[in-house]
Amino acid sequence: MDGYAGNMAFIDLTDGKVTIQETPTDLKKNYLGGRGFGARIVTDRIDPKIDALSPENVIVFSTGPLTGTGIPLGSRYEVTTKSPLNDALVSANSGGFFGWKMKRAGFDAVVISGRSAKPVYIFLNEGTVELRDATPYWGMKTSEVTAALKSDLGDKDIRVTCIGPAGEKKSLIACIINEEHRAAGRGGTGAVLGSKNLKAIVATGKLPIKIADKDKLNAVKERVRNKIEDNGICQGLHKYGTAILVNIINGNYILPTRNFQRGYFPEAEKVSGETMAETILTKPKGCYACIVQCGRVTKVDGEEGEGPEYEPVWGFSADCGVSDLSAVARANYRCNDLGLDAIGAATSIACAMEMTEKGYLKDGIKFGDAENMVKLVEDIGYRRSFGAELADGSFRFAEKYGHPELSMSVKKQELPAYDPRGLQGYGLAAATSVRGGDHVYGYMISPEVLGAPEKLDPYTSEGKDLWVKAFQDLTSSIDATGICLFTSFALDTDDYADLIAATTGMKMNATDLLLIGERIWNLQKLFNMKVGYTKADDTLPDRLLKEPLQDGAPKGRVWERQPLLDNYYAARGWDNEGRPTPEKLKELGLTS
Amino acid sequence: MNIRVKAFATFRDVMDKEIDLTIAENTTISDLLDDLMIQYPGFEDMAFERPGVPKKFVDILHNGRNIQFIKGIDTPLSEGDLITLFPPVGGGWRVTQQDSQVRRL
Repeated sequence: MDGYAGNMAFIDLTDGKVTIQETPTDLKKNYLGGRGFGARIVTDRIDPKIDALSPENVIVFSTGPLTGTGIPLGSRYEVTTKSPLNDALVSANSGGFFGWKMKRAGFDAVVISGRSAKPVYIFLNEGTVELRDATPYWGMKTSEVTAALKSDLGDKDIRVTCIGPAGEKKSLIACIINEEHRAAGRGGTGAVLGSKNLKAIVATGKLPIKIADKDKLNAVKERVRNKIEDNGICQGLHKYGTAILVNIINGNYILPTRNFQRGYFPEAEKVSGETMAETILTKPKGCYACIVQCGRVTKVDGEEGEGPEYEPVWGFSADCGVSDLSAVARANYRCNDLGLDAIGAATSIACAMEMTEKGYLKDGIKFGDAENMVKLVEDIGYRRSFGAELADGSFRFAEKYGHPELSMSVKKQELPAYDPRGLQGYGLAAATSVRGGDHVYGYMISPEVLGAPEKLDPYTSEGKDLWVKAFQDLTSSIDATGICLFTSFALDTDDYADLIAATTGMKMNATDLLLIGERIWNLQKLFNMKVGYTKADDTLPDRLLKEPLQDGAPKGRVWERQPLLDNYYAARGWDNEGRPTPEKLKELGLTS
Repeated sequence: MNIRVKAFATFRDVMDKEIDLTIAENTTISDLLDDLMIQYPGFEDMAFERPGVPKKFVDILHNGRNIQFIKGIDTPLSEGDLITLFPPVGGGWRVTQQDSQVRRL
């Protein structure tokens, strides 16, 4: 089958053994790549009950058939493992150039188990795998190790994905960073690499990727490119970056403020995408083959970096009560350099701020304290001083001080930048996400706020069960293809199916594509059930169910769990307790 | 009575980003949009498909509520109202044509 690198590498860091196998055809047909490969491989190789930071855990880096083949926005790779933050089967997605290079180095997936006795990095080069000493790089920030490896290897064209000090310290909100600024952000994947003494993966090579039908692919690429270029959201992302959402979400009174105590941030304009474009923006930047270029190269107080994207902007501004764009940008730079999930870091600080405000914490940190917020990010990354208390996320912190209700998390993972009290469908997607608090596993903001593919009333529940299922399944399949989720603002399911068919030669239509997504979703769900997650965990923080919003049109609203949840289970073909039925599993080919 | 209009993103290329207006009683959003078209010549092209019909993905919010879910451009204005204007940021994702469950919606 074309469109793939053709091989997978299995690396046991305990004994250094490397096995290279051909990528199985069944795996390609049933799971496509990316998140699908990761979910299947991790499920097959570990007991869900193991300690996520033990050598037994497996972490998979995987690309999809559309990664690195010149298709617009085809840059993505996935990192899949058992999450040390919440024990769920997490798959985190990143762009940049690493996925492209990993594929040109000859690998569809790199499957890592065990624990090295000393720090190592993995060197992938045109079908070969080497384990190399990383002792000189241990302790370095992500920008430092990336630069050092390029220098030491004498090759500017290598691509590096790595952890920073946060991953080494096994912070449960540590992420994995490639190209210094692109993050596989959620779920604490960086801590898993840290636990394995694995500092980085380096990819290089120019192996060709064979395309099944070049003429057809060129025609579909042209169609896809035109749709993306004509799309209003994609155009907005280019001009303002993802932070265009700050004013939109605030204007709808659903921008979580001060740890979700309010839904409106009066000073949002100061940190908006519009303000960024006028002040700190140096230039837009894109990932491999990107024509949208939503990335922001920025300069603040003499420091240059990338971002902040919408979520970190929100987290370090509204959620922490800070309106200083410079501090927000610097906090984001620190997260990238230390290898911290910016959502997890910002929301953990917001939680500490509310604990301080309520008097549950002496000598904590106050809302609006911009400079100490930036300093605290560094302390979290190095797991030192007060930062050590927050290095494992807000849930464990709030629980330790007797107030877990102040952690705005779902399944121990912090919620991102939208208030579910004014977004019933998004609330359902977040409550049922198979990796915990999340927005990109079913982006209901698209219909409930942006109006794509059509405008849905955000305050109503009717029909949202079906919409959420459709978004979750489609997102799962997009994450398996290796293309960026932002294409979904412009493309339809036929476009994705045509891209895959032309690239791989596989028979594929929109129904096939969504079935693959549904299979992946159910596989992650089954893993989580074995971990011990139940219906009781498919919910949001109590605050969002009991404390009404106080401002603007959604004033007085809460998130209404029922009948949304039961309807959703029915839409999924699950039983009343949220468990996939035998019939559903048979339909998806998931019966053992 | 007094109201405030806020414009965002590319609307700022053709109009002021914040406008305080004194308007007559019994004014609707339709009347307000007419006034804005006169005051800001570039506004009409950016906001309207044809006279009286806003472009599909133009968002007009009345105190944070999309007017599509209340009385549309006939929504009446009151003292102290905030009207926010977002330019087209809509897309063409047509999963509804493909997924049978969503098609039922």
